[in-house]
Amino acid sequence: MIEVKDLSKTYKVGTDIVKAVDNVSLKVEKGEFLSIVGHSGSGKTTFLSLIGGLTKPDSGTVSIEGTDIWSISDNKLSELRNLKINFIYQFSSLIPTLDVIENVLLPTAFSRDKDKKYCDYAMELIETVGIQDKIKSYPSQLSGGQQRRAAIARAFINRPSIILADEPTGDLDEETEIEIMNLFKEMNKNNGITFLIVTHSSELAKHTNKQYRMLNGKLNEA
Amino acid sequence: MKVSHIALKNIKRKFFRSIAIIISVTVVAATLFSVTTVMDSVETSLEKGTARLGADIMVVPAKAQAQAKATLLAGEPSTFYMDRNIVDRVRKIEGVKAASSQVFLKTAKYKCCAVNDMQLIGFNPSTDFSIKPWLIKKLSRPLRDNEIIMGRELTAFDVGSSIRIYGKDMKVVGMLDETGMKFIDNSVFMPYSAMEKISEESKTKKGVKAANLPIDKISTVLVQVAPEISAERVAIFIEHEIDGVKALVTEHVISSVRKQLFVLLRSVFSISIILWVMALLLIGVVFSMIVNERQREIGLLRSMGASKGNIFRLIMTEASILSLSGGILGIIIGGVFIYVFRGLIRSSLNIPYLWPSPLEFIILIAICLFLSLATGTGAALYPAIRSMRMEPYEAIRGGE
Ligand SMILES: Nc1ncnc2c1ncn2[C@@H]1O[C@H](COP(=O)(O)OP(=O)(O)O)[C@@H](O)[C@H]1O
Ligand SMILES: [Mg+2]
Repeated sequence: MIEVKDLSKTYKVGTDIVKAVDNVSLKVEKGEFLSIVGHSGSGKTTFLSLIGGLTKPDSGTVSIEGTDIWSISDNKLSELRNLKINFIYQFSSLIPTLDVIENVLLPTAFSRDKDKKYCDYAMELIETVGIQDKIKSYPSQLSGGQQRRAAIARAFINRPSIILADEPTGDLDEETEIEIMNLFKEMNKNNGITFLIVTHSSELAKHTNKQYRMLNGKLNEA
Repeated sequence: MKVSHIALKNIKRKFFRSIAIIISVTVVAATLFSVTTVMDSVETSLEKGTARLGADIMVVPAKAQAQAKATLLAGEPSTFYMDRNIVDRVRKIEGVKAASSQVFLKTAKYKCCAVNDMQLIGFNPSTDFSIKPWLIKKLSRPLRDNEIIMGRELTAFDVGSSIRIYGKDMKVVGMLDETGMKFIDNSVFMPYSAMEKISEESKTKKGVKAANLPIDKISTVLVQVAPEISAERVAIFIEHEIDGVKALVTEHVISSVRKQLFVLLRSVFSISIILWVMALLLIGVVFSMIVNERQREIGLLRSMGASKGNIFRLIMTEASILSLSGGILGIIIGGVFIYVFRGLIRSSLNIPYLWPSPLEFIILIAICLFLSLATGTGAALYPAIRSMRMEPYEAIRGGE
């Protein structure tokens, strides 16, 4: 389903060369629920961005459901991101000009199929994440946890097969953290969505079925 | 949800910035629209005016040259006279196809009555070729001595109404179509015989100023030139043959004004070009700011599956909405401006003046709208391309 081979990405910072992702290979089966744990700066975000087609690797390949994502056109890659992969970030990723329902519907603006059925599904997702009384609120009127929930609802709107979550509960309280992890588990079980959850907390990683560790750009099974 | 919806929401968020862009386009569109409309109007008015006057040459007393030009162009009431036999002498000159005389008389200024300072023109119905063709409704019979025809601008008087001239009640029986020449549009026309009668009767009426129309005099001879000869040559012949007259080639009088006007309008036009460049720069800077500010947002949209084209369209839609609103607003303001100040424009430019035809109006509006749109989208083009080219990951990181 996801197949990463010899993936590398380096950055030049001044005269230093940082190997953010260093020759990583990984195979993820459909419906897996796995976590990547590592310290800050170990290359987790870069790795997720490479898998999600947000940044180009220096070498190596990423293939998603058999498509080598770095050999297709930018438009095709955008479509792939739109329909198959979705991101949940560690920061507030809502668009401040749009209210909750519009934010949740946002990815559908870039889909070719602009069906009305999305509206019902958006409502359903908003209920699932528990912010149904905030539909018409703007991001600035929401708490950090509510913003994250809205972002999660948005991640599911196009019924993706892969969710790439980058420290999705980073700045949230423990209670909310557990709730969100349970929500992910449910989505994984009921809809067969593949989850790659990046975290620096080994506690949180225990919720997942398979754990990897990232250190200085290298990935190892824990 | 549509990309345009996101654009609209963005515009609303930065309300004052959006207003600033709209205003800058409005200023450009308003100046451009009013200047081009006035230029276009002047052009068509002058063309139509000469054509409608129907006279290639206007023979006037040499001393009254300047006055005659003012009358011809601005319709300023004036009186000047020369011998009546000049019309017959003109008629005999080589190249003259038709000649008809006119006599000018000013209305008396009354203290109480509204009718002030109108040019009265007495014409010769049997030889006239410049008045009657412009009657909106042809008259079925010759004018009687108490009947007059009105120029289009004198809207206070309808056909059928009466107007007192030097104490004599005259009935309006005809109205001329708009010519754009004040000389015709602002004048009252009657046969020469009627004018003589008015003058005669005014001498004996109590409380009425005498009209003092000189006997056996005319003010001007309008000349139509034969097609095979140029008006300039005929004018030279006339001035050579007859002492003390000036043969004004109407086309020349009008084109000299046109030249002066176009120098003036060109400088106004240059100012609007400068304004335009400034607006272009302003919008370019603002959109660069917008793109920098929204770098992370744009990266996020890309990560949600927005293509490069979607991002480009988003920025361009914003620019189009802003610049089109500015353009529409500018055209409305420019239009209202020239409408409100039409009198001032006419009098300060001292020219005959007509509105452009509906078709020309539509073309001008379309050009101004297109230019406004081109301004906004042109200025936003580079920022839009830059935002579209950013790598999503870098954009998200860079905007943190
Ligand atoms: N765009 C970039 N330019 C320069 N250095 C970068 C860039 N992105 C990441 N890095 C560097 O690569 C390393 C890995 O970063 P990152 O993937 O964000 O780690 P993590 O998400 O695990 O904290 C860090 O040393 C970071 O400074
Ligand atoms: Mg990170």
